[in-house]
Amino acid sequence: MSADDESFHPLGQEWENDLEDMLDDTEYDTDLGMEMAQDAMRVTKGELSEADFHEMYHEEMMEEFGQDDRPTEEAYEEAKKNAGGFAEMLKGLGGDGEDSRRGVMKKMGAGAAVGIGAWGTTQSGDEPSVSAAEAGGTETNEQGDMQWGMTIDLERCDGCLSCVEACTEENNLDQGVNWMYVLEYEDGGPDSSRNRLVRPCQHCTDAPCEKVCPTTARHTRDRDGLVLTDYDVCIGCRYCQVACPYGVNYFQWDEPDVSAEAIADDHSEMDGDHMHDERGRWVDSRAPRGVMSKCTMCPSRQDGFSGEEKVGTSACEDACPPDAIQFGDMKRETSDPQRYIDNAARGRALVEIDSSLPSTSDLEDALSGADSDLQSVLEASEDLTEELLTVMKAAEIVTENFGEDDADSVQYEESIIEVFDVLEEHGLDLDSQEVLVELELASEPGEDEEFEGGNEDDAQGALEDYAGSPSSNFKLLEDIGTNPNVVYFGNEPGPNAHQTETPVAYSDISVERADGSEIELVDNRKDVLDEGTVGDAGVSL
Amino acid sequence: MSTKTPSKEDILRPINTFTKKYVALYAVATLALVAFLIAWGYQLQQGLIVTGLGDWGSGGGVTWGLYIGAFIWWVGVAHGGIILSAAVRLLGIDRYMPVARIAEITTIGGLSAAGFYILVHMGRPDRMVTSVLGHFHITVNNSPLVWDVTVITAYFVLSATYLGLTLRYDVVRLRDELPDHFEPVYKILTIGYTEKEDEVIEKMVWWLAAAVIIMAPLLLHGGVIPWLFSLLPAMPGWTGGIQGPMFLSIALMSAISGIMIISYAFRRAYNWEHIITDDIFRGLLLWLGFFTLLFLWFQLQSVLNGVFLGPINTSKAAEAKIAHPVYRVAMGMIFLTLVYIFLQGIRPALFSKTRALIASCVILAGTLTEKILFVVEGFLHPTFDIYRATPGEYFPSVIEFLSLAGTAALVALLFLNLSKLVPVVELHAIEHLRDDHDQEESPEAKPDEVKA
Repeated sequence: MSADDESFHPLGQEWENDLEDMLDDTEYDTDLGMEMAQDAMRVTKGELSEADFHEMYHEEMMEEFGQDDRPTEEAYEEAKKNAGGFAEMLKGLGGDGEDSRRGVMKKMGAGAAVGIGAWGTTQSGDEPSVSAAEAGGTETNEQGDMQWGMTIDLERCDGCLSCVEACTEENNLDQGVNWMYVLEYEDGGPDSSRNRLVRPCQHCTDAPCEKVCPTTARHTRDRDGLVLTDYDVCIGCRYCQVACPYGVNYFQWDEPDVSAEAIADDHSEMDGDHMHDERGRWVDSRAPRGVMSKCTMCPSRQDGFSGEEKVGTSACEDACPPDAIQFGDMKRETSDPQRYIDNAARGRALVEIDSSLPSTSDLEDALSGADSDLQSVLEASEDLTEELLTVMKAAEIVTENFGEDDADSVQYEESIIEVFDVLEEHGLDLDSQEVLVELELASEPGEDEEFEGGNEDDAQGALEDYAGSPSSNFKLLEDIGTNPNVVYFGNEPGPNAHQTETPVAYSDISVERADGSEIELVDNRKDVLDEGTVGDAGVSL
Repeated sequence: MSTKTPSKEDILRPINTFTKKYVALYAVATLALVAFLIAWGYQLQQGLIVTGLGDWGSGGGVTWGLYIGAFIWWVGVAHGGIILSAAVRLLGIDRYMPVARIAEITTIGGLSAAGFYILVHMGRPDRMVTSVLGHFHITVNNSPLVWDVTVITAYFVLSATYLGLTLRYDVVRLRDELPDHFEPVYKILTIGYTEKEDEVIEKMVWWLAAAVIIMAPLLLHGGVIPWLFSLLPAMPGWTGGIQGPMFLSIALMSAISGIMIISYAFRRAYNWEHIITDDIFRGLLLWLGFFTLLFLWFQLQSVLNGVFLGPINTSKAAEAKIAHPVYRVAMGMIFLTLVYIFLQGIRPALFSKTRALIASCVILAGTLTEKILFVVEGFLHPTFDIYRATPGEYFPSVIEFLSLAGTAALVALLFLNLSKLVPVVELHAIEHLRDDHDQEESPEAKPDEVKA
């Protein structure tokens, strides 16, 4: 396939010709099929709306097939509320289940079906593993343009285990089922004070656990790249746990402590039951007996069941006091994790100064009567120090569209802009040469030069001086080829690293779960499991 | 060679006798199987928590243990059995013809035990059909476990066909002496039989044997099962190209040992000194020695690759492996057996059937131990061994140990039942042995002219 052939289809002219031949073999109208296919592709590219597409072919469909269960415009608005999208609706064309999809394709004309197939890979969240595998996409999962993931700043983590606690509570996990796990380690170096690792599932793009699964229970959700386990399909062979190089899987060896009813009751006020995702597959919360579980990156939140404001967040991220976890879409430049990857010093500085920003009303009060030059302003306000202002301004200088994107971290920028507004209103021009040079965010222009405003290098330097720059960023075991979607900042554990005591012990944390039971966290799950072993010999191989 | 002439009556003896010892053995085997079935029922009720298994990683356990180790071991026994039988048919190694059918039944038994282990090992065996078969067309492209189940099924079909075809000849000719209460079974076995088919069947069996011999190293114990482990890059205890040959050598060692033990039992129970002769034991023992030598050589290769300037993860795994007392005991037992086999090769006076029996038992125990340890050690020393709870702890629970007795009993019951239904020694073998006898009595005949 080449980029310059004239096919409308992404797989190229040859593919298109094959489809045309296939269509010729059916009793249905080839031209209609191909035309529809072409327009279906336009819909996937956003050149044509779904509703228009439905409208366009309604009559021809009726003529050709005697039925058109695709919704017309009125019906479309209604149908849009149901997940599955367009591909799902098309199934209605004489199909009665997923197996008949192929049959439907033939009936509709393969050309149209292929357009729809392409649509499925870009939009539909339905049957991820099936469509991916049938397309031959086993090496790298064909995914949509979204991929949930996170950055974890290990140098900001203080090992408080709040994330582990929040995860256990959110998902009603048993003792020792630490989907999120935090550990300290020694690595042979003289100073191990900054050696800490936070280990959720890495939601790998090329997840080995998924490749080895004999059932497709472990799958990547097409829509957003989450690697999930379908608890209704898993047979509990545990090969995913064997194949995962990170050790993030936890099998449900016995009946889970908290019943499915208790979980559903606990979430009766929200849309879902915190167990089934938008596709209706049971992938969230603790696993039932006999199947595998691991960190899910909170699909109920991502599907909007916990409210719009929870989309793009995870329980661990929300709970982290130093905001070391940034959760978001790894494929979007303006998402929290990507912004953090783009400029970690900036990300850190924003978090760190947030709590020390003066409130606008306090600042207004403090400034009333003061002069509008920099020194006077800084003297008038106790809360606003020169360093703080420098960092605030530096953050603005290095950020494109400051305060304008929709990432969570933009709220920090908005607070800064509010402070800036108060200062500007008071008469302090933060973009003036005088102020920027004073704050060391710009240098004096030469005699014949014009002042060019804030200098990005100076600003970056100021941010790094303030917040520090991470020693490195890395992905865990990157050379194994799993393409993980968690990016770490800080020290990467070497091959000889070994865990030591955490500052906060797991047993010091207690968690209340959906059924009202309260448990202490357990570090080593074997201590719990040994109680159920028949004839535990107390020795080990 | 014994002076007795092998006869039809000899091979019919297991069918037409009914001894107290048989009943006792049957009772013991049934008891063991039932005991394990009850234990498995308890496991289904409580969950796999009744085992000594756990989560590797922060969980401080191992994911797979005795169940998978024993599964591999049984598959090995089965595959080795069919390879041995196929070699007899394909290469015309007539010397072992009297134990060929025992080898085939061992294969059926071994595969049954292995298949049973797959179910026992699962968290949700009830979903085997819906989840595995339902997604087969997708998963067969990636999942080694699905290839594994596919290949094992293919082998089961192949072995059963093989056994079924060769039984037709015998059942038709011995029908009058076979008990009438099994008449329906014999009817099904010999459905549509005509004498003309003998030649065709012989050809079919030859091709089946050829398929077995070709597939064995590529797909079975030389292929899919070692891949299942060795392709996982993060578990250095398992990785490496040596695993294929290693698994194949273990399969053949286990199978030969198993067949020797079963043959010994039949010979003793039915006075078959003149059928399963000392000569067969001597020959099998030499083959056992040969494969044991290969096995030890492969072990040396895999260990050497880690301990001398290996990558950190591989060297940790290899060092832990050779330091493990159970590994040392298993390898020591296997090595001493090899020494004995070679010594008796040089000085035939050192051979005795009892010693051959002991050697077989030692090898079987050694290979089973090695297989279980192999599975467990992968989890003990993963590449990502940062966790304090790694290496984890594992010791099989009572239920897991009971599974060994249960599956051994299953295979024993298969033999006990089949031996009452059909001859476990082929009629061909008897005819062949009789030819030999005739020729021994006529001194001018040369052994080369012997034809089956």
